[in-house]
Amino acid sequence: MKPVLNVILTHQPASAVAAMLAWWKKCVPPESILLACGGTRADFEAIPHAAKVFIDDPRLRTREHQREQQSYGSVFREVAAWRGTPDYAHIHFAEYDHLPLVEDLNQRQLALLAEEHADVLGFHLRRVDATNCVHYLAHAAEPAFEDFWRKVTCRADPGVVLSMIATGSFWTRAAFEAVAATPEPHPMYVEIFPPTLAHHLGYRLRDYGPQTRFVRHLGDRLSEIETACQSGAWTLHPVKSRWG
Amino acid sequence: MSFLARTVRRLMIALARSVGSKVVNAETGEVIGRAFVIPWRGRIAVIGLDAEVKPVFLPQTRMTYWKQDIGFVLHAPPNFPHEARPQRHPHPPAR
Repeated sequence: MKPVLNVILTHQPASAVAAMLAWWKKCVPPESILLACGGTRADFEAIPHAAKVFIDDPRLRTREHQREQQSYGSVFREVAAWRGTPDYAHIHFAEYDHLPLVEDLNQRQLALLAEEHADVLGFHLRRVDATNCVHYLAHAAEPAFEDFWRKVTCRADPGVVLSMIATGSFWTRAAFEAVAATPEPHPMYVEIFPPTLAHHLGYRLRDYGPQTRFVRHLGDRLSEIETACQSGAWTLHPVKSRWG
Repeated sequence: MSFLARTVRRLMIALARSVGSKVVNAETGEVIGRAFVIPWRGRIAVIGLDAEVKPVFLPQTRMTYWKQDIGFVLHAPPNFPHEARPQRHPHPPAR
């Protein structure tokens, strides 16, 4: 079986990345980790990990992520274009503050993906079209938004819009590369564009189910690590201050 | 936004979520949350609701010409099947 590529998006300095890698190596094979570095070029050069790509994109380095429509498009493209070893069949994408908590994380993700007959697993995956979801409403104000889905979709209903938290998503390589190969026609938010595009390209998305409660948008859950482990968490997010 | 404006907004949201109108899932009867629902300049403003809902006109068992109700429903969790995309062959067969 081909291994999983574990992509970790970070902007932190080398010392913090070293601490993060030491933790991750307890949960996934070290050779399966690819760092996507969105910090400074100097920090990137100083990171002592061979498998790494530098992301030089202002759409990633937003401050007010929602209103500036933060995008991971360049991260997806760099990862899809990366040709290091190993040759992988699945991609697990995580942000630096998303802590893995179990030693067989990838095996659990693969089992859930198979059980759900899915192409993508995501946290807080939900349908948001025609709702009061603020990200959807902001996009719906742009006429090209609806036109784009009508052009790319292979589904009967081009109006479906999905949302999920970007971190922790788990992809088949085909789904990931198909999304990476499709540029945004205009800025779209990272929680809307990848899941909605994957859906309209025909891929099946499913939520992580009971694991979703261990992932939320805001805060710092450093003090909850032990409790989360005891409660059966595979991962915990966000844990921002763990790496210094 | 100034400190004062932020504080007023927080208070307004807290008030809406504690004493606002109950928002009920029209399909299940389950309480979704509370919010101020205010008609305003030909629209309806929903203030403070902490859930993603879809407004719909509700079916009527008795046909009334003078009153219709707008309620709220939730989307079902996404469970769409995998759908194979039609292949775009670079060289379509000659006719």
